[in-house]
Amino acid sequence: MSNFTPKERLLKVLHKEKTDRPPIICPGGMMNAAIVDVMNRGGHVLPIAHSDDKLMAELAVDVFTNTGFENLGIPFCMTVEPEVLGSDVDYGSMKCEPKITQEVFSSSSAVDFHEFAVMLQTGRVNTVMQATYNVARRFPDIPVIGNLTGPVSTAASIVDPMIFLKDLRRNQLAAHKVMEYVSDFLIAYAALMIDNGADVISIADPTATGEILGPRMFCEYPLVYINKIVEAIHSQGVPVIVHICGNINAVKHALPELKADAISTDAMVNLRKLKEEFPKLITMGNVSTYLLEMATPEKVVNNTRHLLREGIDIIAPACGLSTSTPLDNIKAMSGAVKEK
Amino acid sequence: MANNKEELLKQLADAVVDMDEEKAVELAQIIVAEGIDAYEAIEKGLSAGMEVAGRLFEEEEYFIPELLMCSDAMYAGLGVLKPHLKAKEGAAEEKVKVVIGVIEGDTHDIGKNLVKILLETSGYEIIDLGRDISPQKFIDAAKEQDAKIIAISTLMTTTMDGLAEVIRLLRQQDIREQFKVMVGGAPVSQAFADKIGADSYAVNAATAVRLARQLTDGVA
Repeated sequence: MSNFTPKERLLKVLHKEKTDRPPIICPGGMMNAAIVDVMNRGGHVLPIAHSDDKLMAELAVDVFTNTGFENLGIPFCMTVEPEVLGSDVDYGSMKCEPKITQEVFSSSSAVDFHEFAVMLQTGRVNTVMQATYNVARRFPDIPVIGNLTGPVSTAASIVDPMIFLKDLRRNQLAAHKVMEYVSDFLIAYAALMIDNGADVISIADPTATGEILGPRMFCEYPLVYINKIVEAIHSQGVPVIVHICGNINAVKHALPELKADAISTDAMVNLRKLKEEFPKLITMGNVSTYLLEMATPEKVVNNTRHLLREGIDIIAPACGLSTSTPLDNIKAMSGAVKEK
Repeated sequence: MANNKEELLKQLADAVVDMDEEKAVELAQIIVAEGIDAYEAIEKGLSAGMEVAGRLFEEEEYFIPELLMCSDAMYAGLGVLKPHLKAKEGAAEEKVKVVIGVIEGDTHDIGKNLVKILLETSGYEIIDLGRDISPQKFIDAAKEQDAKIIAISTLMTTTMDGLAEVIRLLRQQDIREQFKVMVGGAPVSQAFADKIGADSYAVNAATAVRLARQLTDGVA
């Protein structure tokens, strides 16, 4: 009865259409499955795959073939965008994801605005595009997910985050200008991903949580700018997943205003209740990454089956996976979704 | 005059709660000019204001941007008052020392900075190691500074093992009992803290202060 290819299944769910079962995915970017077990098997390893398009593509394929996740996800970090916008990045190690070593601007007012056309030819933009094109061409039936670092997280990766958070309140004009700039850049960057074969765009914005910003600022900044990005991506006919980190209670009321096609949340959020409250929401998640790293495959299976029974639309890890997560646990998770 | 003093201290606390840096400086200058004791002004004005801000944060009235701005106002007032502290008061009491930092591999330091601010305003002496700090560095600093508490934060699941490593190393070096280890950060949970053998888990910055007091038997 599995007449759907993984790409058809995911796209149907994102378009609120019926399928045989939920897709099981791990989008990439902040939520990627390039765990050490996978890299040891395939031999395509980080950190060098962060900046080599062929290795990046092969690693995405290794993740796909080893884990049972039904997608290809590019890239494997959250630093491509801030790097292009001027911040210094340390590519980390096999076990440790890249990080910003120094934000380039000391405050929102200090941000220099550059031409996107030029920037989109710098940094690792081309690496990401080549890798996307490579996997999209080779796997026409598997959805390719292009991952964006959300606008608040990107802004707080080019402006000192402590200052930026204060600017959101005391220097709103400058903060909005930076958000506008970053969002326009992300729109142009996502458009390139789509041109190169991305079927779905996933946005993760870990700095834009209700816990950090509170409801008022969540609605004033991330809600507005994420929606702007989502609408631009929609105009190219591509669906969007938005991941919100942490406890969403403070901003739950605003979720129906998000124009994303699916909302992914962390493990502490009860997705069944969220669906009851907002029946139109397509929910994604939220197998505990703590369980995935620490527990036995049986426990992972139980957690996954529980989510299936609750009718969660897309099964996925709840947040970024630890690189030391055992492959057996991930296979247990994907196996549990496919066993029906 | 007494009335005036109480009123000024209250206004100073309010300036902190209202995130009003300029007002905090202005009031601190008036307080100095009026000859009010700087130590008392810090305690009953600035710290009292931060305590209210911390409570509002716990009650989800304030969020991180607000808390950061309160602390800016607090530090601005402190800058004016500190030079007027009488020498003996500065050295009067030995403060409990806390070594704090973000574990290796992680550069997200918003949470760590909040904990630092709140602990500092609650009377702890903070040794801030910064971000991306190796497990051994936490231990070296704690030994060198004779700290009571090691507070470690991470925001990334990929670096959680570094927290366990700090405790493993403390045990290996047979000095686990010398320090209380407090952990926190988005992916960390009570279950994780128990598993790695940490002394406490702080779900947020305001809780961290309460837990620090418990760990040091109310001495701060």
